Amino acid sequence: MWDQCADGHCVTCADEGVPMRLVRVLDPGLAECEAGGGSCHQVLTGLIEDARVGDVLLVHAGTALTRLDSPFEEAP
Amino acid sequence: MKYVDEYRDGELGGALKARVEKLMDGGRHYKIMEVCGGHTHTIYRYGIADLLPSNVELVHGPGCPVCVIPMGRVDDGIAIAARDGVIFTCFGDMMRVPGGHGTLLEAKAAGADVRMVYSPLDALRIARENPQREVVFYAIGFETTAPSTALTLMRAKAEAVSNFSVFCNHVTIVPPLRALLESPDLRLDGFIGPGHVSTVVGARPFEFIPRQYGKPVVISGFEPLDVLQSVVMILEQLKDGRCDVENQYSRVVPYDGNRQALRVLSEVFALRPHFEWRGLGFISQSGLRIADAYADLDAERRFEVPGVRVADPKACQCGEVLKGVIKPWECKVFGTACTPEHPIGTCMVSSEGACAAYYNFGRFSREKVAV
Repeated sequence: MWDQCADGHCVTCADEGVPMRLVRVLDPGLAECEAGGGSCHQVLTGLIEDARVGDVLLVHAGTALTRLDSPFEEAP
Repeated sequence: MKYVDEYRDGELGGALKARVEKLMDGGRHYKIMEVCGGHTHTIYRYGIADLLPSNVELVHGPGCPVCVIPMGRVDDGIAIAARDGVIFTCFGDMMRVPGGHGTLLEAKAAGADVRMVYSPLDALRIARENPQREVVFYAIGFETTAPSTALTLMRAKAEAVSNFSVFCNHVTIVPPLRALLESPDLRLDGFIGPGHVSTVVGARPFEFIPRQYGKPVVISGFEPLDVLQSVVMILEQLKDGRCDVENQYSRVVPYDGNRQALRVLSEVFALRPHFEWRGLGFISQSGLRIADAYADLDAERRFEVPGVRVADPKACQCGEVLKGVIKPWECKVFGTACTPEHPIGTCMVSSEGACAAYYNFGRFSREKVAV
């Protein structure tokens, strides 16, 4: 049951956000997003203005809180 | 990965460490509180406390949502979970938090249908899939998780999912900080401010700290170099005789927060007159309840809950840990009667609780130092 705590963090906790890429808009305010490891999740996107496919979002407990520049690229 | 690799760079870390040493003012002892449990976790996981000079002390604040849930509210959840026909959903950590009558995990073992979910949206899906059952979500957390609950409630209302409700235990970060700053036994030089809470509320709500209490605040990211840089920024302010709110985490945190999130929060929630915090007691206007417009989805109105206040176990010193008055290992039961496997206090439950973080990443190094 503690598999969710991969990398030592649990989704419950105050400030754990996960960057995910939006891959499909399901309906206004809901999208399918892919995390770094390739796992897909349904994410509420109602807080992001004009969320589009390809956007990288900071997701917390199933909700996108903000849009990020892509963190999936290699560091320069 | 961008935003990760460069924030874990050893050379940059060494340069920041040297900068900290340069900013030291003779024999002065610096006490800096990291408000958020995520920072506590980073500090222990990456050994930041050991990297800093011994006169820079990091004190762990009340920003772990699991750690501040009082025992009576756990009992209320168990009472709902034990009802016939209820599917009770919560985040994983919440299942192990001890109330006066055991934990939700023990209630599950005794036959209650308690399920772990990753988000309130998962709980709503369970409600859609089980229209003949009442599905309740145990909502906890600060302004980071509250928008998630709010959007889910809006969705449930729009879709008229009548068998879904939320037991709301959301709290806000500013009132406990104010309560801490008013506490007579607290001496702090500055705050490492919460990162993702600030994504929602912005940095502006923390301006009262420098203005009224004369302490610097630096909103920080969660990588090890984020935290180190934030310590440098606080020390720079102290050396310059300044106190401001600064934003180290500007790659994520807009100074004014997420306006849409704030709108959603104010539509779905209302402030409670007061709310009990584990170890901190009752704090005015620090908890959220579900607004009247969403009353049909409020589990507290749908089900009768005991609502009994339960005193913390006498041996437990979570309150002093949460206020930064003592370090986790100074608690009488740390690592003996209270462990992550069998927690007595909430700080030992969540991976971001100060006691659990220290138990998992730091206890052996302390023993080494003690020898």
